[in-house]
Amino acid sequence: MFFHIVLERNMQLHPRHFGRDLRDKLVSKLMKDVEGTCSGRHGFIVAITGIESVGKGLIRDGTGFVTFPVKYQCVVFRPFKGEIVEAVVTMVNKMGFFAEAGPVQIFVSNHLIPDDMEFQSGDVPNYTTSDGSVKIQKESEVRLKIIGTRVDATEIFCIGTIKDDFLGVISDPGANP
Amino acid sequence: MSLAADSPVHSSSSDDFAAILDAELDKISDASADTGEVSEEEQDSDHGEESDSNLDLKRVKRRKVELCEGITDPLSSTSQGEPAQTSGVLSLEKEACLHPGAYGGLCVKCGQEMDEESGVAFGYIHKNLRLANDEIARLRDKDLKNLLLHKKLYLVLDLDHTLLNSARLPDITAEEGYLHGQRDSLPDTLKSSLFRLDRMQMMTKLRPFVHNFLKEASNLFEMYIYTMGERPYALEMAKLLDPGDIYFNSKVIAQGDCTERHQKGLDVVLGQESAVLILDDTEGVWGKHKENLILMERYHFFASNCQHFGFNTKSLSQLKSDESETEGALATVLKVLQRVHSLFYDPVSFPSGAQG
Repeated sequence: MFFHIVLERNMQLHPRHFGRDLRDKLVSKLMKDVEGTCSGRHGFIVAITGIESVGKGLIRDGTGFVTFPVKYQCVVFRPFKGEIVEAVVTMVNKMGFFAEAGPVQIFVSNHLIPDDMEFQSGDVPNYTTSDGSVKIQKESEVRLKIIGTRVDATEIFCIGTIKDDFLGVISDPGANP
Repeated sequence: MSLAADSPVHSSSSDDFAAILDAELDKISDASADTGEVSEEEQDSDHGEESDSNLDLKRVKRRKVELCEGITDPLSSTSQGEPAQTSGVLSLEKEACLHPGAYGGLCVKCGQEMDEESGVAFGYIHKNLRLANDEIARLRDKDLKNLLLHKKLYLVLDLDHTLLNSARLPDITAEEGYLHGQRDSLPDTLKSSLFRLDRMQMMTKLRPFVHNFLKEASNLFEMYIYTMGERPYALEMAKLLDPGDIYFNSKVIAQGDCTERHQKGLDVVLGQESAVLILDDTEGVWGKHKENLILMERYHFFASNCQHFGFNTKSLSQLKSDESETEGALATVLKVLQRVHSLFYDPVSFPSGAQG
């Protein structure tokens, strides 16, 4: 799920950046450092939408670096247990498939794929129903339910299922529109 | 809210009767279980009320059994899963999950956090993936059936000195300096099989006939790469041998995936051991699987290699020659593999020389 929250961070700036564009340099450094990272508590920081405030800079003893506390607004993405998401399949193998919903990778084991879908190996490994009507392969879009998440310091792992009602393939990559 | 009438605890003393009831209730859907719950409430207060629905009748029967056995504690509360447990279908889901595998520390079936270290790590398929031993056995069986259907076996290939020969750039001698030349100045045979990897500071020479070998073998075998080199090296070599990623997709096993140091094992290969053939130039690393191993003649192209193994002769690169394509080791081994394959799948049609 996406959230729009205010976070704070202490940014250190090298003295060579001091000058007219100090604030701009601070903001661009913030964006470079923070966008695309993942924190266990808030999830993946997708984009910074605005700067709320920049505090007074504090010169560190010994080095010339200055620390600014910056409050910024950003969009974060955090997967939750029980959440239904739409994801794109990235890898299919005999154990199940991996799908990506934005920055998070979700693994759906073959135990949680409906029993009528069998794994077919070959050039394009896929899961297909016995009558061939439904196929899950790389680049397919699927709707899945997250049944477990675990948060590391820098990564979030998710397990999903498509065994419930209304879950499964949304669109096939090779299908005609 | 007393649901004690249907508690499995109370009916456990008359197991057969409870089993019959469970079987009957199996046929009834969840929805009616809910309505059954409501109607049961009414019955608790209106003793002996009889209704036409089968469900209510059964609940009356159950209560009569309880009263006979002197169990009267209608206010005892049971778990919240109570209404679900009355219908036999849902009670199956409450069985403990066997945790067939773990991704990032989470069980792949129930999503619970698990402690690491049980089962085998399959990092070459995806980082952070582990599988329990039971699950591995189950997958192996399933895959074997599939494989037999397609008339294939498994083939595990070593990289260094079997399919190719690599040397570090600093080790290339002066005599081999011609290898550094522009693509066009190289003889034809080398153009397609000699590769320079600047990022890894290495030069690699693919063994003659290797592309044909892989193509023919892929019709008969499902192939894996298993090397004692490091993962980035293994993946680069796989790209050279298999640019289309058809043969070795998710099947490149490197040093970091071995469960035992300095030993290769088939425990990380998802295939029945009895259907695996191994092609390697080193016998020592396959301690536990000597019977599956076909020992290959080593391929020495670079001079540094020959020195390393203690040969004093000039290497193939210094002699500016190469192993024969049609009669080299790979071609011979391919014939052997084809023989083994037909022995396995077509023993009847094979000439009697196969016996013994």
